[in-house]
Amino acid sequence: MLAEQIINGVVLGSMYALIAQGYTLVFGVLDKLNFAHGEIFMLGGFICVASIALGASLPIAILVTAIIAGLLGLVVEFIGFRKFQSPDAHLTAALSSFAIGLVIIDLSQKIWGAESVAVTLPGTLQTAAVSIGGLRIVVLRLAILVISLLLMLALYVVVTRSSLGRRIRAVAESPTKAALFGINVTRINQQVFFVASMMAGLAGLALALRTGYASSDVGFTFGLKALAIMAIGGMGDLRGALIGGLLIGVLEALAFHWGLGQLADVFVWLLMIVILLMRPSGLFGTLISKEVRA
Amino acid sequence: MIQDYIVFVGVNIVLAWSVYVILLAGSLSFANGGFMAIGAYVSGVLTVKFGFPLVIAALISGIAAGLIGVLAGFPALRTRGIYLMLVTVGIAVSVKAVIESIDYVGGIQGFGGMVGTTPWHVVGLVGLVGGGLALLSRSPLQRILDAVREDELSAASLGINPIYVKLTCFGVGAFLAAVAGSFYAHYLIHVSPDQVLSVFIVLYAVLGGTNNMWGPPIGAAIMTLTPEFVRGLEAWRPTAFGVVILCLLLIRPDGLLAFRIATTRTKVVAGSKPKQST
Repeated sequence: MLAEQIINGVVLGSMYALIAQGYTLVFGVLDKLNFAHGEIFMLGGFICVASIALGASLPIAILVTAIIAGLLGLVVEFIGFRKFQSPDAHLTAALSSFAIGLVIIDLSQKIWGAESVAVTLPGTLQTAAVSIGGLRIVVLRLAILVISLLLMLALYVVVTRSSLGRRIRAVAESPTKAALFGINVTRINQQVFFVASMMAGLAGLALALRTGYASSDVGFTFGLKALAIMAIGGMGDLRGALIGGLLIGVLEALAFHWGLGQLADVFVWLLMIVILLMRPSGLFGTLISKEVRA
Repeated sequence: MIQDYIVFVGVNIVLAWSVYVILLAGSLSFANGGFMAIGAYVSGVLTVKFGFPLVIAALISGIAAGLIGVLAGFPALRTRGIYLMLVTVGIAVSVKAVIESIDYVGGIQGFGGMVGTTPWHVVGLVGLVGGGLALLSRSPLQRILDAVREDELSAASLGINPIYVKLTCFGVGAFLAAVAGSFYAHYLIHVSPDQVLSVFIVLYAVLGGTNNMWGPPIGAAIMTLTPEFVRGLEAWRPTAFGVVILCLLLIRPDGLLAFRIATTRTKVVAGSKPKQST
C-alpha cells in the first residue's frame, strides 16, 4: 500500500528530523560538526533496553533515556568542544567528537555485544494498530510521530520566542558579543548540547521501539544520514532540518516501495552534494541567524 | 609474519600520507577509506576479470579514485572546509553502499581472487610517496600549501587559487589512498566492503601529528604494530585509540593540527604571535 508506505516514511522522517535538529542546533550555535551525536542517538536505544530490562515502565524508560542522553551531551561538550571554541578549530572539534563517537561505539559493543538486542514491551503496545479511513496504522508509530513533532515544535518555540532562545541566538550570532552583554556562553553551550543530545537519545529510543531492537551500528548509518539531512535542509536551520527529515523519510520509504532500498543511502548523500553545489546554505535560509557565509 | 607487518604497516603509512596530503591544504577527509575501497575493487576487477598487471591496475584505480574525488570535492570546496568534511563523509558512506549493491563484485560477501602484492611493491610505494613528499616539503609548492592552509583569503590575494590547490591535494590524496587500497587487496586475496572502509585512517595521520611528513607514518606504524605485540589491546583498539586521540587533542589543542612547525624551513620570527581571530 502506497499510502501506508508514505505514512511510514513520515514516521521515519520525524526520527531523522529529531536527530538532524540536534546537529543543526549545535552547528548553528558553535559552528562545529558534532560527530558524536549519532552515537548518542545509538546509545538512546540501549539505555531504553537497559532500563526496561531493569524493570522500568515505558514512561520511566523515556525519562531515564532523555536524562542520561542529555548528561552525555554535557560530557561531549566538556571533552570534545569546551577547549576548541575558536572559529579555526572546526577540524579539531570534528576529530575530538569523532574520537568520542568511536569510544562510545566500542564501549557499547563491549557491554551489549556487537549483535542487536531485542526490545520487548509488555502488552501489545508494539503491535496494536488502529485503522483510519481504511489504513492500518500501528499506534506506536503514530505516537512517535506526534511526540517528535511536539518536541520539535517546543524547541522551535523556545528558540524563537523565549528569553533563553534569545540568548541562544545571541551566542550563535557572536559568542564574544554575547559574552560582553553578560550572557554565560558556556552555560548556553551546555544547554544546547543537553537539549540536542536529549532529542537524539529520544530518537534512538523511538527507533529501538519501532524496529523492536537496539543495534550498535545505527549511529553510523541512521545517525550520519541525519547529518546529510541537516546539510540538505540548511545548516543551522531548525525548520530545514524538520522539512529535510520528512522529505528524506518519505523518499526513502518510496525507494523501498519501488525496490530501490539499497541505493537510498547513496541517494541521500548525492542529494546533499548536489544541494551543496546549488545552494550551499541548504534548501532554507538560516533560522538561527548568522552572517552571510563567505 | 614479517611480510604481513611490512605490507600492513606500509599500506597504512601510505594511507596516513594520503590524509596528510589533503590536510596540507587545510581540509580534513573522512573519505579516504572510501577511496581505498574504490582502489581495492577497481584494481581487483581489472586484474582478476581482465588480466591487467597489478601495478597498471593500481595506477588506473588510483586515477579513477582521484577523478571521483575531484568531481565530488569540487562543489564542497567552493564554500568552506566544513562542507568538504560533510562531502567526504558522504563519499565514504556512498562508496560502501554502492559496492554492497553491485553483484558483479560480490556485494556484501566481498570480492576475491586478487594476488600478486609482494612486500617489495609496498616498500617501493612507501619510498616513492615519501620521496615525493620530501621533495614537496623543500619546494615552493609547500609554501603555497602553507599559505592556503593558514589563510585562504590572503593566499587568494597573493594570486593563489585556493580552490585549485585544495582540489589538487584532494585528488592526490584520493589517488594515494586508492593505490594503497589496491596493493592491500592484492595481498589479502579477498576483500569485503566493511574491511576496506576503515575509519581509523584519519586517526593514523592525526595521532602521529601532522606538523610534518614524518608524523603520519609514525602514527600509522604505532597504531598498526602495537596491537600485534601488546596482548589484549586488539580488542580494545577503538577505545584505546579514541582515548589517546582525545588526550592528545586536549593536552595540545592546537599542536596536532595547527602546523606550528610547518616545514623544516620555517623560522619563528621573534616577537610574532599566532593570529587571533574574532
